[in-house]
Amino acid sequence: MIYDLRRAALPVKWLVTCLLATFGIAYGFGAWMVGLYAGFTPKSVAATYADREMGMRMPPDTTMVLHHQVTLGELAADEQHVVDRNLLIQDTHVHVPMYGVIAAALSLVVLGLAVPQWSALALITLLFAAPWLDFAGMWLTKLASPGFALITLLGGWAMGAGYMIVTALALWHMWRPAKGVAV
Amino acid sequence: MTKWIAGVAVAAVLHITPTVVLVKRPEAVRTLLPGAETFFADDIHLSDVDAHRLHEAVDWSPEDGVLTFYTGRQGAGVVGSLVFVRVDTPHGPLEIAVGFKPDGAVAGVIVTKATVETKPWVLEALRVGLTDAYRELKPGAAPGGAAAIQDRVGTLPHYMAEQVDKGVARALAAWGTFYNHVRAAS
Repeated sequence: MIYDLRRAALPVKWLVTCLLATFGIAYGFGAWMVGLYAGFTPKSVAATYADREMGMRMPPDTTMVLHHQVTLGELAADEQHVVDRNLLIQDTHVHVPMYGVIAAALSLVVLGLAVPQWSALALITLLFAAPWLDFAGMWLTKLASPGFALITLLGGWAMGAGYMIVTALALWHMWRPAKGVAV
Repeated sequence: MTKWIAGVAVAAVLHITPTVVLVKRPEAVRTLLPGAETFFADDIHLSDVDAHRLHEAVDWSPEDGVLTFYTGRQGAGVVGSLVFVRVDTPHGPLEIAVGFKPDGAVAGVIVTKATVETKPWVLEALRVGLTDAYRELKPGAAPGGAAAIQDRVGTLPHYMAEQVDKGVARALAAWGTFYNHVRAAS
């Protein structure tokens, strides 16, 4: 272990607690935003990221018109928030480095946990792999098949799980009452 | 180091905030085509030549090369028609619904979508009556909504008004160049 959170100075424990609380707030609002714009089902995630250009037809030789009846309900169906390729490029560019910083910060917390080496390695891998899965799923949904939306969901849940595990372990290590000490 | 900081700043500034729905599409349709009981869509699949013509005229290529006009009918009579136009801005997309009377004059304009960032600017422009300037415009006319509210709003609401002008100009060009002929033929 590089350092031990159980024996860390009080300011260090407080810093880690505040950091975890801040990430918790950010993740909470992140989940809210996902619920608003992409949803939590494979179908809604696929509708957000799948590339409509995949089925794009060639322009006709002369302009053609298709006339058909529609209902107001069908018009409402077009309200789905869509992330096109350019926006996804921008999102990847902006979000992936930030996810890397968050994973690194949580990994530093993991380094202070008294857990077996394989557990620490597994946790660090989970923290970094979750955003990779998240964005890999988005790109595969766009470029390959809407079925890959499941990978994005898996990545999102893995991110939440990684945070929850690290937070629970860290809080337990730092703040559990010491045995035999009256509170 | 300075370049790196500038890069991060540019990335932060360019990050487009999520789209927000200001008015739901069905609500916009009901407002712009009052009394319509049945609705029909005309999907105009533009040829390369026509798509290029539209792009040259109003700097616009509709998504997938398809222009969709919605026509509202009450019994056998036409109430009017409507088109949704998307305008991409550096702050994210803007969607406007432009309604037309049967004679081609603009019946009304509704901003249906903005972004979290642009919403307050759009709302400020709308509050001072931006869309009043578009009523009765006919294809060939130049929308002047932004100029009409210039003295009553700040720089950013005025900028958004210019984007709405752009959307209205696209709708007018599409109606005059394509939909008018579709309508006449049907």
